[in-house]
Amino acid sequence: MKEYYPLTAAQKMHHNWIKKYKTQQVSGVSVVASLQSPLDFGLLKKCIQLEFERYGCMRIRFTKPDVNGEVQQYIVKKDNRDIPIKDLSGMSLAEADRLMQQWAYQTFDGDDIPLCDVTMLKLPEGFNGFFIHMDHRLIDSCGIVVMINDVMQLYTHFRFKSAYPENLANFEEVLAKDLKKANNEKRFAKDKKFWDDQLDALGEPLYSDIQGPSVLEEARKLHGNKNLRAADIELNNLFVEVKDYYLEHEPTQNLIDFCMNHQLSMTNLLLLGIRTYLSKVNNGQEDITIENFISRRSTHDEWTSGGSRTIMFPCRTVIAPETEFIAAAYEIQNVQNRIYMHSNYDPELIEKEMRRRYNTPENTTYESCYLTYQPMPVKMDNPHLVDIKQHSKWFANGAATKKMYLTVSHTEHGGMNFSYHYQTAHLTEHDMELLYYYMMRILFKGIAEPDMTIGEIMEQI
Amino acid sequence: MTKEMQFKTIVAQYCEVKPEDMNNDMRFREDLGFSSLDFMSFLGELEDTFDVELEEQEALKVLTVGQALDLLEKL
Repeated sequence: MKEYYPLTAAQKMHHNWIKKYKTQQVSGVSVVASLQSPLDFGLLKKCIQLEFERYGCMRIRFTKPDVNGEVQQYIVKKDNRDIPIKDLSGMSLAEADRLMQQWAYQTFDGDDIPLCDVTMLKLPEGFNGFFIHMDHRLIDSCGIVVMINDVMQLYTHFRFKSAYPENLANFEEVLAKDLKKANNEKRFAKDKKFWDDQLDALGEPLYSDIQGPSVLEEARKLHGNKNLRAADIELNNLFVEVKDYYLEHEPTQNLIDFCMNHQLSMTNLLLLGIRTYLSKVNNGQEDITIENFISRRSTHDEWTSGGSRTIMFPCRTVIAPETEFIAAAYEIQNVQNRIYMHSNYDPELIEKEMRRRYNTPENTTYESCYLTYQPMPVKMDNPHLVDIKQHSKWFANGAATKKMYLTVSHTEHGGMNFSYHYQTAHLTEHDMELLYYYMMRILFKGIAEPDMTIGEIMEQI
Repeated sequence: MTKEMQFKTIVAQYCEVKPEDMNNDMRFREDLGFSSLDFMSFLGELEDTFDVELEEQEALKVLTVGQALDLLEKL
């Protein structure tokens, strides 16, 4: 007997984007994980098939949408699929990456179907591994990293007699617990009060664009409302480009040391960098909101159950120019800590409440920037593989629901990668260059002179 | 199960230390490896499990297992 469950808030977030943008492409997530070493593909296939048994989220299916477009989920008991193998070894690595990028654009279309593809790969330069393409309603990036590591632990167990990996938490049990928590009336009331109090205290948010105030001005003209505080989102041309910037080991370490010495989290420092840039290019605007993604993985079960747990919440701060850099960082940290405590809330309800209070027009937003800070590198963390060169890469799904989505991750060489995904309908690579350049100037000025005010930093950079 | 053991069982879900190996001087961040998100989620879990309401600013001052237990006892 199949058990049917509603979607969690995190799953609903992706599901709503699919409905809004009318394509599943916006919910695709793809990654390749490979080693510069021969692999026993028969054994790898067995390990991937075993992973389908161990990691319940890979077996999620969704029912046919009802009249409102809502679906339910269930987990099939078995998925006895074959795992295909493709030989791309005759190409260059860049050509193989380009081909995989095309695969990442593919969509899963249909109801009650698997939403997960795994393909084993022979890659150029002696790399061998596998490519995973999934729907974000099944898994987030932390979940994928856990899955890749588990597959390789299974592989090294069977190949080199290393310890059998510990059991992963049961996805269905964790899902049921999450849904129960979300339905806890007392918890819901506390979370709602927190988010409503923020609107009571600060009023309607104010849009700030990467390209400056002209974007809001245009929206005001378009809607015939000179007091409009939200700007239009792009609904038609969702094509996204990706621009990566690499921050070397030494400056990365300086940022990490600053965070350690001041008991700050890197997320909050990055949020300060982005918000200061937005303030600078929007005539010193003090009220800035950035959407920040939260992993919602804290307990052992949450870490190992897979699933889509990442969810975004608006980080809104009003920071005056005379505020010292370090004080501003603590102010953001204070806001974020409180958000963490109320992160079981469904962010769709925050948006609905704002639309109700302020009559915000449909298809407008208060945010232009979205941030994910990812402390886990996509690296196979396995003692048997430690000396083997790896080629691992995330592929963008090619359709962005957000104007600019920045993912910051750590690299295996001790640096940080800043990956800017931007909608080409409105933004160019030059916009990303400016954003990265000024973010770095702001952050390094600030950590060098934490007593300097935000206004002084904006003036000097 | 005593309230203290129940409390430590919850803490253990967030870290690698078993409830029986936990002592009251252990610091959440430095010794148990809690991140900010872990700590705030943990506070929410305490509220739900023990049906109490924590004052956020007061709870944020908590550094050790013992201090958290004291705070819980006062409620």
